[in-house]
Amino acid sequence: MISTLIQDPKNYVENPAKLPVLSDKWGQLEPLASTFDHVDGLFYFTYVVCIFFFVLITGVLALSVVKYRRKTFDQPAASNVTHNTPLEVIWTIIPLIIVMVMFVWGWKGSNDMLVAPADARQYKAVAKQWNWAFSYPGSKVQSYNELWLEVDKSAAFTLQSTDVLHAFFLPGMRVKRDVVPGRQQTAWFRPTKTGDYHLFCAEYCGQDHSKMYALVHVVTADEYAKKPWDVLKDSTPAESIASGENIYKALCISCHSVNGTPGTGPSWGGAKGLFAKDGDKVIGRAREVVLADGSTQTVTVDEAYIKESIAMPNAKKVAELPYRNNNMSAFADLDERRVNCLIAYMKSLASN
Amino acid sequence: MTTNVPAYEVHAGEHGGAKPNFLNVTKGFMSWAATLDHKRIGIMYLIGVTAAFLAGGLFALLVRLHLWEPTGLLFDNATYNQIFTLHGAFMVFIFVIPAIPGSLGNIVLPIMLGAKDVALPRLNLLSFYLWVTGTCFALYAILAGGFDTGWTFYAPYSLYSTQAVISIGLGIFILGFSSIFTGLNFIVTTHKLRAPGMTWFRMPLFVWAIYATSILQVLATPVLGITILLVAFERLYGVGIFDPRLGGDPVLFEHFFWFYSHPAVYIMVLPAFGIISELVTVHSRKPLFGYKLIAFSSIAIAVISFLVWGHHMFTSGQSTYAMFAFSFLTFFVAIPTAIKEFSWVATIWKGSIAMNSPMLYTLAFLIIFAIGGLTGVILGALNVDIHLHDTYFVVAHFHYVMMGSIALAFFAGLHHWWPKIFGVIYNEGLAKLACGIIFVGFNATFIPQFVMGSRGMPRRYATYIEDYQPFHQASTIGAMVLGAGVALMVGYLVHSLLAGKKAMQNHWGGVTLDWLSPTPPPLENFDEAPVVTTEVYDYSTLDLKTTQTPVR
Amino acid sequence: MSHDHGHSVVVPAPGPGFLPHTVAHHFDTPKQEFQAAKLGFWLFLATEILLFGGLFAAYFYFHQVYPETFKVGGAQLNWRLGAVNTIVLLLSSWTMAMGVRSAQVSQKGKLLMYCALTVLGAVIFMCIKFVEYQAKFDHGLLPVFGGMHDALGQQLQWYTDHDGVMAGVPHGNLFFSIYFTMTAIHGLHVIIGAGLIVWIMFGAAKGRFHANYFLPVDLVGLYWHLVDLIWIFLFPLLYLVP
Repeated sequence: MISTLIQDPKNYVENPAKLPVLSDKWGQLEPLASTFDHVDGLFYFTYVVCIFFFVLITGVLALSVVKYRRKTFDQPAASNVTHNTPLEVIWTIIPLIIVMVMFVWGWKGSNDMLVAPADARQYKAVAKQWNWAFSYPGSKVQSYNELWLEVDKSAAFTLQSTDVLHAFFLPGMRVKRDVVPGRQQTAWFRPTKTGDYHLFCAEYCGQDHSKMYALVHVVTADEYAKKPWDVLKDSTPAESIASGENIYKALCISCHSVNGTPGTGPSWGGAKGLFAKDGDKVIGRAREVVLADGSTQTVTVDEAYIKESIAMPNAKKVAELPYRNNNMSAFADLDERRVNCLIAYMKSLASN
Repeated sequence: MTTNVPAYEVHAGEHGGAKPNFLNVTKGFMSWAATLDHKRIGIMYLIGVTAAFLAGGLFALLVRLHLWEPTGLLFDNATYNQIFTLHGAFMVFIFVIPAIPGSLGNIVLPIMLGAKDVALPRLNLLSFYLWVTGTCFALYAILAGGFDTGWTFYAPYSLYSTQAVISIGLGIFILGFSSIFTGLNFIVTTHKLRAPGMTWFRMPLFVWAIYATSILQVLATPVLGITILLVAFERLYGVGIFDPRLGGDPVLFEHFFWFYSHPAVYIMVLPAFGIISELVTVHSRKPLFGYKLIAFSSIAIAVISFLVWGHHMFTSGQSTYAMFAFSFLTFFVAIPTAIKEFSWVATIWKGSIAMNSPMLYTLAFLIIFAIGGLTGVILGALNVDIHLHDTYFVVAHFHYVMMGSIALAFFAGLHHWWPKIFGVIYNEGLAKLACGIIFVGFNATFIPQFVMGSRGMPRRYATYIEDYQPFHQASTIGAMVLGAGVALMVGYLVHSLLAGKKAMQNHWGGVTLDWLSPTPPPLENFDEAPVVTTEVYDYSTLDLKTTQTPVR
Repeated sequence: MSHDHGHSVVVPAPGPGFLPHTVAHHFDTPKQEFQAAKLGFWLFLATEILLFGGLFAAYFYFHQVYPETFKVGGAQLNWRLGAVNTIVLLLSSWTMAMGVRSAQVSQKGKLLMYCALTVLGAVIFMCIKFVEYQAKFDHGLLPVFGGMHDALGQQLQWYTDHDGVMAGVPHGNLFFSIYFTMTAIHGLHVIIGAGLIVWIMFGAAKGRFHANYFLPVDLVGLYWHLVDLIWIFLFPLLYLVP
């Protein structure tokens, strides 16, 4: 159970050169998003009120302890007053007024945050264990674990989950919404400053909950027009393999190793991996699989098998234990270019 | 409170000196294992919940150590997830919920009422053994592979997880019955076994607090029971109530769960409030300021607590009407709580303040609870909560109220009633030192968590981005200090049982019936049944001689 | 009424064939014992109401989300059998109340007779329930033991709906999940109640219950009335909805 330091990279993005920057520091004066004002103002107000009451309470206690300390064992109390109606009324009414102010302010703020403006761009974020897939309006290419937005343009997100509860949390934008499987939720905001921001999953979802990270790039209109999310580099075989490796690290590394080490899912490499080297050629290995009806079959790994296994993982499950008892989420909407990059990467892992 | 009970009785010659007390009146394993005496049952609970607290604390230290490094120092993610789940489950269900009612409540409440025992002593023993059984199920669940759902076991993850969810679920179900029966017992005891002359408004406030707690235990816990049963049925038969793939609704689970678990936090905190009420009056030797308000505020908190569960779910996609109602009522429940805090401070003001260890723990409570309660108010505001939900800010808030307030009140109560229960007193110097270490360590652990939570650090993270490392490291150092303070406290308390000095008959100078009974109390709590003739916190009746006369 | 060890309050038997009752030593009077036990038992009944309350909440929620499913699902239940069960339970509540009355006037024979009739009612209820469940098994509308299926997201196969009666409505399994869960937990309480009544019968045969001490009979009677009351809510909601 206690293992050595984990060597995983901290974020699985397709441009690993860009490291996350905490550009959404609390207390930064310039608003970073349209949601800022609502939240920060009330937070600071409440914070000041809390400090006031804390100082008051601690002050009275400190003063009491100094002034009225019992010096002899028979010293009676300095006063036996048990009521002071004006005081009791004041300390009931004034907190009541303060909290009602906080309530109204909070409610109005949250109402504004709930309803997206009509001109907001419609994005989709699909959460699954343990990565994010983003779809863009007017584009057929998804991006994984990285999101590009245009500054000063409202963005509304449809949030979906394919498995368990997740949450869509951008601290810099003060936005959070649970992503509930079986439901569609929405969240919106308008970023007002360019830069890179964190997106965390904020609802515990299992093993790699803490690794379900996405990097959000808020870019200028010019840059956005160039469709920067279409980052998939697959024009040469070398590029495809490199992209395949990135996709592997984004989507598959949690369960599949590439060096023969057993995991939740079968390893892609090693003696029982997908492909074997036969001189110059790369050929698929044979493996025993279990079909949905329980019968077993021997298949040879090929592109069709891999594509089926990605889109419908339970159609043919590897028969060996524990793999036949474990489950893989379906990646039914992984676009074809990415699938081909993955296959190129898998083939590059072929060993003797 | 004057009664016809002599403050202490000495019967020289009988039984060779002092009369037998509940600790030595019978001996042997079975005389404890099959006891019907509420005081012995309370001590068995005390041993049990202390062990649970230490186990839960150990898990906490492992969590904090692991988080020293952004990539995790000790475990892989899956194991870390099990450890934080164990920390939560042990602390909430096996320690905090049963601790004060089961230990101090059992030992002290009947004596405070002038009764010989609780109303249903066999049910009391059954409650204890149900606690033991539930805990055994939890231990079994650990051995059967553990569980990593978080103590809140949200669906659908808890439905899909291949781990020992049903085992721990059954354990919590059984623990729930322990809680229900304890609450039921205290309600009946309070109604039916008060001494003659003790009207409702002559009851000590600890009794009011336990009474309000008991209402919550009886009414709220069954909902947790049915929730666990439904999850178990869902896992076994796939009934589909919470599983979206079968038409169910995960948010319905959240509603069911929090309908119990919000009152549960008041089950946890109301007894702590009761302890503090008793301690501020005794150690300031001054009647409680606003007795009736404090009593009624306990009941008000109990009632309102049923109406605010949705504030745990503001980001789940509730309707705006639901958000309105839950936020509004959440702010409302802050008011009775504030009244209590102000009343306690007003009691201390102009009292005769003894700066002994129970009072130090009480002062620590008052300061820490102020922070805990006030940060709860911050979280009640809708849009602010949306940012802070599921971050370390919430973790810090609830640790301020649960650890810093409830556990600290529990320690305070232990120190306060220790001489009464055991007839010995612990080392006062070490107690003051431990209190200081705990106070410093606690704040050092959790203040960094407020800061990083407000800056976006999510909770239940086995790994984190480097930017948060300084906060995590500061918090870990604080946790080690806190752990050292707790270890010191356990050490000198245990030592006092083995070699402690004799306590005084009425060690702190209280005037409620618990202080007027013999020290330690005999089997039926009093030598003659008491009759109450004056108001509850009337220190003019205090016989100072008893605070100077040691127990024989 | 103070006392020390060995001198407890004793309630005398009203006549031959009955046993006296010793009040528990921490109580001062039999009345205090009686009132304390009764208050405690009402609190316990409150917990039962809240336990079922959660199930009713689930029922109302899903009924609102899937009204068609509940309509069609309810039509699959045999309301006649349900009505017979309702009448049986109502009658058994009457016999139980008569049993308590018999205890209150120290009529041992009648107490035993009424208890036996109540248990008979419980047995009839469970037999009819069994018949209903059997029919549901046969149509693939209820879980079966053995052949458990994993809870890992694959369509669970207990709900097979052989005849396709629920094919036109979404998530037909939900109605039967609610039906099975509610009636099974209720059925468990019927069995527990019957067991308690049998225990009363053993005590009654020995003469423990009489005009001076009938507390356990009273409390078991309360339990039985609650079990009946819950069914009175279950029956219309599940069976009569369409």
